[in-house]
Amino acid sequence: MNLRVFKRLMLIVAAVGFVLIGCQKPESKAPEKKAETAAEKTAAAPDKPAAGLDKILIGHPACLSGKYAKAGEQAVGGIKAALDWVNNTYGGVTLGGRKVPLEYIYYDCESAKEAVTSLIGRLAMSDKVHVVFSPYSSGLTLRGAPVTEANKILYMDHGGASNAIFRQGFKYIVQTIGPATSYHQGTLNMIKATDPAAKKVALAYEDSEFAKMVMEGAREHARKLGFEIVFERTYPKGVTDLTPLLSALKASNPDFILGGGHFEDGQLFNRQMADLGIDTKALSLIAAATLPAFYEALTNMAEGVMGPSHWEYGVKYSEREAKKVGLQWIGPSQDEFVALFKKAVGKEMIPDYHAAEAAAQVLAYTLAVEKANSVEVDPVRAALGDLTFMSFYGGWDVDDTGMQVGHTMVDVQWQNGERVIVWPPEAQTGKPVYPMPTFAEKAQGKKAIAGM
Amino acid sequence: MNRVTQYYPILPVLLAYAILFIVGQTVSGTWQLVATLLFYCAMGQAFNIFLGMTGYVDFGYVAFMGMGTYGMALAITRLAHLPGLGAVVIVIGFGLALLMATLLSLAVGAVALRLRGAYFAIATIGVNEGFRFLIEGARIWNGAEGMIFTAQLVNIVGSERASRLMTYWADVMVLAIAVLAAAVTLFYMRNRVGYALTALREDEDAAKVMGINVTKYKIIAFITSACFAGLVGAASWALKTPYVFPPEVFEIHYTVEAIIIVMLGGAGTLLGPIVGGLIYGISKYYLSIFLPGLQLLVFAPIIIVIIVMFPEGVVGVLKNRTRNTALGRFII
Repeated sequence: MNLRVFKRLMLIVAAVGFVLIGCQKPESKAPEKKAETAAEKTAAAPDKPAAGLDKILIGHPACLSGKYAKAGEQAVGGIKAALDWVNNTYGGVTLGGRKVPLEYIYYDCESAKEAVTSLIGRLAMSDKVHVVFSPYSSGLTLRGAPVTEANKILYMDHGGASNAIFRQGFKYIVQTIGPATSYHQGTLNMIKATDPAAKKVALAYEDSEFAKMVMEGAREHARKLGFEIVFERTYPKGVTDLTPLLSALKASNPDFILGGGHFEDGQLFNRQMADLGIDTKALSLIAAATLPAFYEALTNMAEGVMGPSHWEYGVKYSEREAKKVGLQWIGPSQDEFVALFKKAVGKEMIPDYHAAEAAAQVLAYTLAVEKANSVEVDPVRAALGDLTFMSFYGGWDVDDTGMQVGHTMVDVQWQNGERVIVWPPEAQTGKPVYPMPTFAEKAQGKKAIAGM
Repeated sequence: MNRVTQYYPILPVLLAYAILFIVGQTVSGTWQLVATLLFYCAMGQAFNIFLGMTGYVDFGYVAFMGMGTYGMALAITRLAHLPGLGAVVIVIGFGLALLMATLLSLAVGAVALRLRGAYFAIATIGVNEGFRFLIEGARIWNGAEGMIFTAQLVNIVGSERASRLMTYWADVMVLAIAVLAAAVTLFYMRNRVGYALTALREDEDAAKVMGINVTKYKIIAFITSACFAGLVGAASWALKTPYVFPPEVFEIHYTVEAIIIVMLGGAGTLLGPIVGGLIYGISKYYLSIFLPGLQLLVFAPIIIVIIVMFPEGVVGVLKNRTRNTALGRFII
């Protein structure tokens, strides 16, 4: 075969491939793509009276590839698991006296902003979804907001933690993930409750949008609780030596430290504190300390170190806890959710907080539609504003801007090589070890083990 | 060829953009897709002025888009509180975007354009990363925190207009920038600048011997390309998405996309960036819909096949095939 014939053959193959892909009905590609057909059938759904609806459509520009692919895979699995529960266990969404199933349409936005707007445009105008779930990250969530606002579609945010999203005046955006400013509130509450004598706090964190927002909330909450901020300094991204900063921090003699930014600097922070022998009663590091790799890298030096998380496998939120605090309960138990999640992703995979918050968002939308008895954007948005409930993910409540205020972060502490949820009390799987062992004790093999 | 007929190749460009615009306006749910395609076409069109016409590969190209984004962001955030300026702020923003992209291109060009080929490419690789770390490390323009300015935009033009600006007019501006970039490309092609650039692209030493000031023409192409990149950044990133985070606007991924678009369509051709932008954008869009999560596995072989089939780009091959035909005068 000469080159010319080969090239022509390749061209024909490529052309046929394109045509086949273009002509393919989405439902034949994957089971969840059945939603496409449903979308076409119910193209005018939002304009119909609620009683005429045969499906409620959730659209999602998911991050299934690109830099947020891991978070995206978890979110899609969480949404499918929650849909499974709503449709098959709960029986569907009660709307106009009938039970209406939820259906999920998602496309891959490749973690790229250009794709987010074009896919939301399609979901809003062609698929005519009733609600759009945001992609992962504050940037991508912001990218989609003007399109959903212009199309008057509810936009639910389970991936963008920046408080700034809710300072822009968007009407139809509602958050499920806790805002960045809430990350250390639980940690501070815990220390206040455990050790009323502790007064001095040091803040040392990465110079990034996320870490700054987290510490803005921590600073404000610490002052509200009567703590004194004796040290506050940032360090640049990609830092390789924190000894000058930590030496200055040591001189301020804090009772406890809140810090971090990403995994690498969090690990460095902990390691160099050990090198310099800086002992405090508590150390909480965002983004790093909750990861198994943190303990694998630091082994015993990580004992007693804490970190905030939106949700961790093992939390004790239950119908009984909901009753105790006077909240409505909805959704599967944690174990049921894990089983549904594994079924949805088709493999042995433990859901993380990305999956849990996306699933909780489905439950929030379900309750809001039932409360409003409508799928129209304004009544559902108003219902979401009034809604408070608890699920396996924890509490749910939003303020007037749509920002999440009802969900409490959980604080995780490394105890004897295990991640133990130590705060809030309604979610805890163990008592906090406070003060944590000193680095000298840890070097001799002492573990952080809570007393009975 | 008289003065009018030599500009005939602009007609298929205008036709292509007109069709895109009409499709976006008339087919429900396609405007945001058209906006994305326009972004890719405009980015390719701007990059083609330098890559296509000189043969130099600039890996720091996205930095100019980033500077344009910052130019618009600074105008909006710093002037939003001034009463009575209204939409003038947007005009100032475009002016600032142009100025900042020009200054950066002058600084980069003065150093890097003394180098050739692979050395030039290597010298430019660090531009976007270096600039990003400068902004973050020195805490310039809010440093790593970036800026979110939807609220300020609403203050300036009002809620309804801001919404329309972010979802429609910003895209129309990108269309205008793409058309303007194509017009400038054609103007260069038909003038001394284009002849000089063609000569240096084919053999820089020979061009030099013939008395062409190659550095001057390279800088002209470099600055022109950077200016259009700055305008694309200002419209498509700052106005369409009123926020700027350094890691997002200095992401090398966009430079790679621009290179693929230009090579797919045909480097140095007028119609190439449009064809490349459309093939690239449409393939990505439909594959992400029909094969979510798996599209890159299919997309990469498609790109390889097209590059193998059309080593000079789709328009490059088409141009050779239609040479000396009636159609040939429209395809360059």
